[in-house]
Amino acid sequence: MLKVENLHVSVDDKEILRGVDLSVGQGEFHVVMGPNGSGKSTLALTLAGHPRYKVTKGTLLFDGESILNLGPDERARKGILLAFQVPPEVEGVKIIEFLQQVLVELKGIDPAEAYDAIVKKAGELWFKEDDLHRYVNVGFSGGERKRLELLQALLIEPKLLILDEPDSGVDVDSLSIISRKIEELNRAGTAVLLITHYGRILEHLDPGTFRVHVMKDGRIVMERGGEFVNEIEERGFQAIFEECGCDE
Amino acid sequence: MSETITLADAKAVIENQIEELARRNREPEWMTKIRYRALEAFERAPHNDPVISEEQLLHFIAKPEVEGIPEHIESLEDLPAELKALLDRLGIEEVEQKYVAGLAVQTDTGVIYNQFLQEWAKKGLTVLPTEEAVRRYPDLVKEHFLRLFRVDESKLTAYHTAVWNGGIFLHVKEGLKVPFPLHLFFLIQESALAQAPHIIIIAEPNTEFHLIEGCTAPILVRHSLHLDMTEAYFGENAKGQLTVLQNWPEYVHTRPMTRAKIGKNARFINTTVGLGTGKSNTANPKYWVDENGYVELNGILLGQKDWYVDLGGEMYLQGKGAAGINASKAVIMDESTVITRGIITAEAPKTKGHISCDALLLSDKSRMETYPGLVSRVDDAELSHEAAIGKIREEELFYLMSRGLSEEKATQLIVKGFLEPMLKDIPMEFLVEIRKIIELAVSGGM
Repeated sequence: MLKVENLHVSVDDKEILRGVDLSVGQGEFHVVMGPNGSGKSTLALTLAGHPRYKVTKGTLLFDGESILNLGPDERARKGILLAFQVPPEVEGVKIIEFLQQVLVELKGIDPAEAYDAIVKKAGELWFKEDDLHRYVNVGFSGGERKRLELLQALLIEPKLLILDEPDSGVDVDSLSIISRKIEELNRAGTAVLLITHYGRILEHLDPGTFRVHVMKDGRIVMERGGEFVNEIEERGFQAIFEECGCDE
Repeated sequence: MSETITLADAKAVIENQIEELARRNREPEWMTKIRYRALEAFERAPHNDPVISEEQLLHFIAKPEVEGIPEHIESLEDLPAELKALLDRLGIEEVEQKYVAGLAVQTDTGVIYNQFLQEWAKKGLTVLPTEEAVRRYPDLVKEHFLRLFRVDESKLTAYHTAVWNGGIFLHVKEGLKVPFPLHLFFLIQESALAQAPHIIIIAEPNTEFHLIEGCTAPILVRHSLHLDMTEAYFGENAKGQLTVLQNWPEYVHTRPMTRAKIGKNARFINTTVGLGTGKSNTANPKYWVDENGYVELNGILLGQKDWYVDLGGEMYLQGKGAAGINASKAVIMDESTVITRGIITAEAPKTKGHISCDALLLSDKSRMETYPGLVSRVDDAELSHEAAIGKIREEELFYLMSRGLSEEKATQLIVKGFLEPMLKDIPMEFLVEIRKIIELAVSGGM
């Protein structure tokens, strides 16, 4: 479904991705790990179509078609959704109005139907109906922001959900609900590309159900089975890179 | 302009208008005398408008007035069909159905329709066309007419005073709290005709009210000048709100003149929503605030095309503990210019004032200037200001677009959100209309 080949990306003329290869099939679960600055978030933002991230080389296919020339809104319509690492505050825009508009536009359902769906799913992520009248992310804690990202994913039901560190800045309880909801979406058929620093969010996933990709200096240098997360946790990236000769 | 019009030409036209108004309104002599004094003042008063030249003003004045409105109108049914259609388009009937409230519609030549609940009149709510109030409550009008303005301040104040016509006289008797908003609409129909309604608001002690003025005009009008004047008087502990919705077509020059005296513990919230501010709109409302009184001027300004919008606002905090807030939010697109220049003067101890100005620029050619003025004549006043002028943040736009909203829809959402905090207290059916106008403006500006 998603096929990334030799992807080179620059931001403000500085090359950050230097030949990424990655394939994600329908309903699959992939984890991207790597030290700070290895290019994980750049990969996520590039896939979602951030205008500042310029693809200088390589191909980006989704369902067999190049999406390189598509804007972020068109990619969303094709079924790609990015859950942000730090979703921005949107002053004055109520969550409920925003989500209603998104569902009306993306799914073609009417606003009343959208409203009911939003309230129902919001409850599953511990948002009360009152909370939905707050402005998008304004004054939200880390946990609230991440839960709101997940709420959007549950409502939109994308083909490919990219999660950029859904576990950073999140309390233990939020982490557990977020991780369960990711699994739930994946079981329902959404392919997941999850970027993380830690293995904790993957704790109760069967290691046999997902693949781990390790990024370093703008490339994916290793691909392993799910159990590799434990090894990374125990030994750290440095030791692993030395052993595999990935340090060039 | 094909012909040159002299000051004498304009004076002659004004004199004819005074005669006509005096006759048609069956006006008492004292009021006609005020008009003639204003006519004299017109000649020597300074003209210092930033946009309208003196020649242009004389031209506006010299164009003859055309009448076309039936004399006696008791209900909407008595209106000419085209006017009724216009009101339908503006959703006035809808508004009226929603609130069992007062409604007055002002056209070029006078208040043509009003309907107020009789029981509220009995309780002490007087809402009349100003010219009728002149006949029925001469003492009250004499006491409050042109007390907050000097006739010779400018050619515009003089001209307004000479030819004022229509407007609303709102008198809320002591202790009365009006639980529904009162609506007033202005419509300009005739070309090159200065429309000069005079609004008097008298809120006696311990009263509450909310007056909403909706301004709009039919499409075929050209080069009109709108010169309304509002004088508001708040007694002790009176609480009032005046919300002005402006949606003028782009060729109307508007010069709203608002002034208010705010008594002890009184509270005045003056919101102006300038969605269509016209070719140019300059306003410099003034407020005098007594002990522990409070005034708030909220300006929502939408600059489009080549419009010129200049919102001032002078607040004089004269009593101990008086407070004033001058807050504006402007969305500026195309090649329009928006200027805000509030001044708060602290003249008494423990007074507080704050000026804030936020602007969102949607194009490279739009222009925003802000000049906050804080003057303290005492040593324990708290005066502050803040200003933020910027563009839409890329991260916000990307975030909304990554949820499938087009750039246009995402921008509309951000612009509406930017203005949202200022739109509190505005009735829902207006909000719907306001949001629609903002969406159209944003789409047109992209």
